[in-house]
Amino acid sequence: MLRPFTLHRPETAEEACALLAGLGEEAAAYAGGTELLLMMKLGLLRPRHLVDVKRIRGFGDIGLEPLSGRRLTIGAAVTHRAVEQSALVRARCPLVSSVARHVANVRVRNVGTVGGNLAFADPHSDLATLFLTLDASVELLSPRGRRELPLDDFVRGPWETSRASDELLGSVTLTPWASDTAAAYVKFGVHERPTLAVAAALRLDGTTGAGRNGRDRIVEARVAVGCVSLKPVRMAAAEARLTDLSIGDLDDAARAAADAGSRPPARGAPSPRLAFPTPWSPEAAG
Amino acid sequence: MSARPLRVVGHPVPRVDAIEKVTGRARYVTDLTLPGMAHAKVLRSPYAHARVRRVDVTRARARPGVFAALAGADLTWCDPYYGPAYRDRPVLAIGVARYEGEPVAAVAAVDEATAEEALELIDVDYEPLAPVMTLEEALAEDAPLVHAGQPPAGHFADLSTLRPRPGTNICHQFQFARGDAAAALGGADVVVEDAYRFPPVQHVALEPHAAVAAWDETGALTLWASTQNPYSVRVELAKMFDVPLARIRVVVPHLGGGFGSKTYAKLEPLAATLARAAARPVRLAASVPEAFQTVRRCASRVAVRAGFRRDGTLVAVACDADYDVGAYADIGPRVVQKGTYTATGPYRVPHVRLEARAVYTNTTPGGAFRGFGVPQLAWALESLFDVAADRLDRDPVDLRRQNFLAHGEEFAPGDTPIDGKLEESLSRAAEAIGWTRAPAADRGRGVAAMLKASVAPSVSEAIVRLHADGSVTVLASAVEMGQGTRTVLTQIAAEVLSVPLARVTVVQPDTAVTPYDQTTSSSRSTAMTGRAVQVAAEDVRDQLLAIAAQNLGVAARELALADGALVAPARRLTYPEALALKFGMSGGELIGRGVIAPGRTAAPLGGSTPFWEMAVGAAEVSVDEETGAVRVERYVSVADVGRAINPLLLEGQDEGGVVQGLGHTLLEEMLYADGHLLNGTLLVYRVPRADDTPSELECHFVENADGSGPFGAKGAGEGSLIPVSPAVANALARLTGVRLRDLPLTPERVWRALRARSPRA
Amino acid sequence: MTIRLVVNGRPRDLEVAPHALLLDVLRDTLDLKGAKRSCDTQVCGACTVLVDGLAVSACTYLAVEADGRSVLTVEGLADGESLHPLQRAFVEAGAVQCGFCTSGMLLTAKAMLAENRTPMRDDVLHYLRGSLCRCTGYRKIVDAVLAAAETAR
Repeated sequence: MLRPFTLHRPETAEEACALLAGLGEEAAAYAGGTELLLMMKLGLLRPRHLVDVKRIRGFGDIGLEPLSGRRLTIGAAVTHRAVEQSALVRARCPLVSSVARHVANVRVRNVGTVGGNLAFADPHSDLATLFLTLDASVELLSPRGRRELPLDDFVRGPWETSRASDELLGSVTLTPWASDTAAAYVKFGVHERPTLAVAAALRLDGTTGAGRNGRDRIVEARVAVGCVSLKPVRMAAAEARLTDLSIGDLDDAARAAADAGSRPPARGAPSPRLAFPTPWSPEAAG
Repeated sequence: MSARPLRVVGHPVPRVDAIEKVTGRARYVTDLTLPGMAHAKVLRSPYAHARVRRVDVTRARARPGVFAALAGADLTWCDPYYGPAYRDRPVLAIGVARYEGEPVAAVAAVDEATAEEALELIDVDYEPLAPVMTLEEALAEDAPLVHAGQPPAGHFADLSTLRPRPGTNICHQFQFARGDAAAALGGADVVVEDAYRFPPVQHVALEPHAAVAAWDETGALTLWASTQNPYSVRVELAKMFDVPLARIRVVVPHLGGGFGSKTYAKLEPLAATLARAAARPVRLAASVPEAFQTVRRCASRVAVRAGFRRDGTLVAVACDADYDVGAYADIGPRVVQKGTYTATGPYRVPHVRLEARAVYTNTTPGGAFRGFGVPQLAWALESLFDVAADRLDRDPVDLRRQNFLAHGEEFAPGDTPIDGKLEESLSRAAEAIGWTRAPAADRGRGVAAMLKASVAPSVSEAIVRLHADGSVTVLASAVEMGQGTRTVLTQIAAEVLSVPLARVTVVQPDTAVTPYDQTTSSSRSTAMTGRAVQVAAEDVRDQLLAIAAQNLGVAARELALADGALVAPARRLTYPEALALKFGMSGGELIGRGVIAPGRTAAPLGGSTPFWEMAVGAAEVSVDEETGAVRVERYVSVADVGRAINPLLLEGQDEGGVVQGLGHTLLEEMLYADGHLLNGTLLVYRVPRADDTPSELECHFVENADGSGPFGAKGAGEGSLIPVSPAVANALARLTGVRLRDLPLTPERVWRALRARSPRA
Repeated sequence: MTIRLVVNGRPRDLEVAPHALLLDVLRDTLDLKGAKRSCDTQVCGACTVLVDGLAVSACTYLAVEADGRSVLTVEGLADGESLHPLQRAFVEAGAVQCGFCTSGMLLTAKAMLAENRTPMRDDVLHYLRGSLCRCTGYRKIVDAVLAAAETAR
């Protein structure tokens, strides 16, 4: 049961930002509502105004960013289901599609949005964790204009972002990995929200350096871990250790990393038994 | 009469309420609306233990749309305490709040939103007190007392000898002994011992508790309640309001699950109190988090010592069990004594010393939950049995077989002899799991067995009415909570009277209409209520036979019932024709009555169990050593049921029991810290989901028609759950060498145990 | 706010407050009691209804979002007195016990079958992972959904 509120349905970002600016703390941006309405039911949030962003031009779009023609932009009001089903996402970033398929449950995926998820900044967010390996940046709109922020700067801590109260998250843009990148997303947990999540993207190259087969040296490693810190983080030390390794040495390196740290092991080779839908294979192109 | 094959009993007929449930037409308490009905909300204590110095509901009461606002101090016009063992639980806290979530005040208003807002207008002065949150804290010397003074006893004969220890948090003690356990253990060749913990867990019936109460102008009360025992609720309300039993009516539509959470009064007294104060019907529906604050399973710490001879003969068992029954006793004392009574499991043991204590803590009250104390003890004994098998270098299946009680053997003097063949269940389970074939290298197998008594003495009565058109109404107060009792009772009546299933209607329990039934729990409804229905139907049958014998001039023994008619070699008399003959007109009915009331006996608990529930579980598990996650890949449950009245429903029950057992085995635990329940919502309390079900799950039944229930039936539904945790832990031990003693077997616990073990040879 | 929607094939014009939840409008205004309130937090699925064919948690879905859309509840599954194949499969397989989760299970399965007419067991588990049942242990529910898929082919 919810307390009464006024529902606003702006059709442009300008209108929405003006509303947020005018209503201040009394207003909340509302897309799918899967987090917001839950917080309101629990009495943790009591906005008197909801600003529905689903009708805003462009917020429901998935497309290539015009400037680069490569980067993938997902509108804030795009649902997890739409991401899962998008042919473009599947073509450019298949792992994003797979991960979207496993967020929460089917009902939440049908209604919940990417923007809502990122703006809520739950440390357990699958997308926020994965997007850290994709050079993600978010677009923030306000009466003052538009700014773009790396995702890691946008998410500040548990349920805390850099968004000013009159700013609206408009979209998130991802840079698909270079070709010859193998990637996987693994999450482990027992409850509704996972206990540990790891995203790993390894760009391979066999043409330089010693290697038994072609394409088995790790040129660049990106590893992000979610759920266990105040926000999802990239594991710089693990990435450094993985760089220039060959695939054959991966298991040993991972084991060494696991034994050495009390932090969750940053594994470059997730156990196949925990493996996510995207198969672990060098052929998985970014 | 009994030579011919059964027409409907023993057949997997679809349940009689299936269609209403799949079309959304089945009605539960929260689907009901009465004209003028008010909605109630409850203000609950945020402290585990606090003096309640002042509760001011004035502002709430004054809010427009509020019909009643009550605090404990307002309840001067009724007896505000209830409880089946001790009447220790106030409708609203009086002077002290004893657990986080205890109702302190309540409001009835025109709608839920108004009621919620009114709660915010209630001012409460709490003075926090030191709580005792665990068994250790509650049993410590000079521990704060959850209850000062001894509350009056409740309404059960078998608990008339409640034995608290004054000045402590121990509200009941149970002892049982035979032979000389100390000496026998001293002389045993092999002695094993250990202590095992079972966590507090929550039933999570999808429908939380709910009641709608309405007083009429004559001062009679009607209550629609999601309850498993309407008659127990009735007697509580009668005592509270000093109203004769005949003027309190409890009606029970469908329950959205029970599992024991809805036995004995829970929210009904508060609903009735509010309805009286509001002078209009009141609907009180708990949320899922409120269910976590209403009742749970009694947690336990059980220490067991078992002594064996070198040849594997079990000679002695000593058991010390402490049960955490929470802030109010509920039926905890009976859980403790009845569970502990069968602490020795399904085995022959000449020397026994059992001691158990029910201990108050400042947490959600512990009450009945499927298994009723036995899961906690089986977890201990069946785990220890495998430890013994290891020490004796014996196969665990073999060791159990050697020590099983035999069919017809005495369990305890005065009690019913063992009425089933444990060895048969064990053999079938072992065969089905492939016990004698080596498992794959990454798999381990384990078994466990159980024995449980059903509540005794108990009473079930039933009425069967045969109408002028040959259709039948069955009046019985067994509650339909998903287990299929309405269907089973339909089958029994249809079988005895030889009419089609569709011609039989089992009405909903209604204390104004359906006669006394003690409780829908303890796996007893088929055996006891079913037997009452059988007897009542036989009564009608006998009346029909008498009518036909007289009118056809044949002896009753030459008549048979078939397809709604009485049949003699050359004559046939339909039931309508028989009634017309008897009454001389169209109209009238035959009424049959069945009363099953075995009464008190010399058995140790005051009554002889109507049947023994016995079952075996076998698990095959794998473990992910990286994460500690245990997966039950295959599970076999074998239950000795006498006769499966409906094999399809029974299989569904047992599949559900196994998966519910996987819950407390691998996933579930109510976690407290600093006096607060951390995981009282489904976001953080994890119950089994569809992908947790073992890929191979088989439920088998041993049917030797050796029960005292209808057609040789015994009880079932709890036996499938009880062996799960020890079977899984035994399988894990055989696979990895690690022995865990605390449930649930979370990935973290397993992972730590795996890392701590010494390298295997 | 006035909303126009189709519920179980029938056009309805309703006056609802912005903060009204779809579950309450269905149960209290339209007297469709089949969808149940249980966890109230989108975890259990007992409140599942289909909006334009997609499963949503009606307990956490504003009624106004159903404006211009088509809503299907369990009461709309059968064709008059003729059960939907899923309903018939649930009855025959013994997949119903207390019934509180049943409408959510049926509708979720229907949405799945609309997307995937030849599901494997894992596909069913993926969809039903968000629908809780405490009575059945899920086995007969999954069997029923697979059986219904088979029948529909």
